[in-house]
Amino acid sequence: MNETSQRLGEVIEASTTGFTAQCYELYDLPPLGSLVRTGDSTNGLFAVVCHAVTEGLEPGRKPIARGKDEPDEESIFQSNPQLSKLLRSEFSTLVVGHRKGGRILQYLPPQPARIHSFVHACTAEESKDFGRTFGFLNILLNAKIETPADELIAATLRIMGASYADPRPFLIGAGKELASLLGEDYGKLKAILERIKP
Amino acid sequence: MLDLSRVAGQIGEMIGQLKAGGQERQEHLVRALTLLVDRAIDFETLKRKASQSKTTFLVAGLVEPLGSHVPPGTIPSDFSIIATDGSQIDVDRHQSARCYLINIGRVRLDYGNDSGAELQSLPQLCADSKDLVISSGTKEQVVEGALLNIKRSVDECRHLADMAAELPKDRPALAVIDGSLILWGLSSKEYPDFVVEQLLDKGFIKCLDDMLKLAQERPLALSSFISFPRSTDVVNVLRLAICPHETADCDKFCGEINIGKRACDAVSGIQDRDLFDSLLGVGERSALFTSQSKIVRESYGRHRVNFFYIKLEDEIARVEIPEWVARDADKLGLTHALLLDQCQRGQGYPAALSEAHEEAVVTGADRRNFLQLVEISMADEHMPQTTSAKARSKNARWL
Repeated sequence: MNETSQRLGEVIEASTTGFTAQCYELYDLPPLGSLVRTGDSTNGLFAVVCHAVTEGLEPGRKPIARGKDEPDEESIFQSNPQLSKLLRSEFSTLVVGHRKGGRILQYLPPQPARIHSFVHACTAEESKDFGRTFGFLNILLNAKIETPADELIAATLRIMGASYADPRPFLIGAGKELASLLGEDYGKLKAILERIKP
Repeated sequence: MLDLSRVAGQIGEMIGQLKAGGQERQEHLVRALTLLVDRAIDFETLKRKASQSKTTFLVAGLVEPLGSHVPPGTIPSDFSIIATDGSQIDVDRHQSARCYLINIGRVRLDYGNDSGAELQSLPQLCADSKDLVISSGTKEQVVEGALLNIKRSVDECRHLADMAAELPKDRPALAVIDGSLILWGLSSKEYPDFVVEQLLDKGFIKCLDDMLKLAQERPLALSSFISFPRSTDVVNVLRLAICPHETADCDKFCGEINIGKRACDAVSGIQDRDLFDSLLGVGERSALFTSQSKIVRESYGRHRVNFFYIKLEDEIARVEIPEWVARDADKLGLTHALLLDQCQRGQGYPAALSEAHEEAVVTGADRRNFLQLVEISMADEHMPQTTSAKARSKNARWL
């Protein structure tokens, strides 16, 4: 695996179906739907970013509006330099596959991610490699998460599609898979397809 | 458990009494304010009376005319604020390992160019015999309870002095402590001299000496900040102004008179903050005063505690400063302006102190986790863990 791809954060919570990672820099969050990986080349996990949040480090300390007399947003942080140390950005992911013996398997792994493991962005090559099959779409469709499934799937497909010079064959393939998965739920299919039009 | 329905009625009675006392308080406040701005009272005469009288109450030393109110200056464009706060887990006599923990919150906030922040929480576990007791060689005093509080205050000041040493030499800075600069706890007769010497002369005062040395070669000031102060040493100056005797001697002249019936009780029930709330405009500071408390007169030397009151948006705060800040116009102005700025950034309380408090605070859960960690670590080393039946009964609340 390409170890020089961007390190996005560190796992702070993990379960069979997903994990949460904290970013090292405030707001340095990976986009919704992007493919990330954690672990090493023999037992790495692949996951899709499904939710992100920036909030106070301590539970119970909520940010308050501070910019009434400030000229711009940057000045708020200048005038209150402790803020950047007291906020954190976190993103949550859905695990959509894992590596085993050199192959990529698009179903849940036997073990969850380890706490404090690093999370990396997948490169375009890794993304194309992963996107050869569409088993991950079923996982995303059935996930119980805050973000609406059609938004997440559309975002994932848009980003994966962008790793191709011509995204259309990929998106058409994905669309066909979705049609077979969604069966008679024509409304949902339409909602997703409209959001992934190149 | 607390039966709130039984307390509710008592709270109602308390409020009734407060309301009834309000009218008298208002009259006393008007009398006090009139005196404060009365130009007929000669400042030097009053100052002399204050220094010569023997009172049963603490009277502030006078430095500037009573009715002074000083607007804040401008703040520098680049400056730093350092602050510390602390909390502790006291010795638990029901626990197997004898120890206590002091948790210090240290904050440095840099404003202007190179803005930045450093927030740290530093726990110190004390289990060594030299920490658990203060010793004179022949006598020992156990460190716990109120004495642990005082030791913690000394540690807070020590950390502040350490942080001050790391500040760039040319950057204006204010070091802030929460609460009073006066270690009131040591002024009672409760503690032997060797304890006072260890904690005050060799402890707190030594930290102030170090701060002074640093402040002599850089634009650094030190102050403490007391929110919602209950002190009355300035109102007590007005008592002296009312007192009909040329030199007051409370025991001699009024020792037989009931409290409430003395001439000076015309201003009783008023606190300094009530006085200055009416006198000062928002952002202004009052006149400077000196603390005449015994411990300051006897032990603080060149750090003699001066104080002033400052009016913020929502309250009056008391600011205490060592004499070397009070008598230096630049440092005094810096203290006034920067504290006001900190309160504006901190929604009414100095932002740096708020953050230091957050870093220092030890929650109930933290305390339980700490005690559990001690127990687990002892068990790992196969050490005997004894605890009391009382502690066990508190932990397992059986029916």
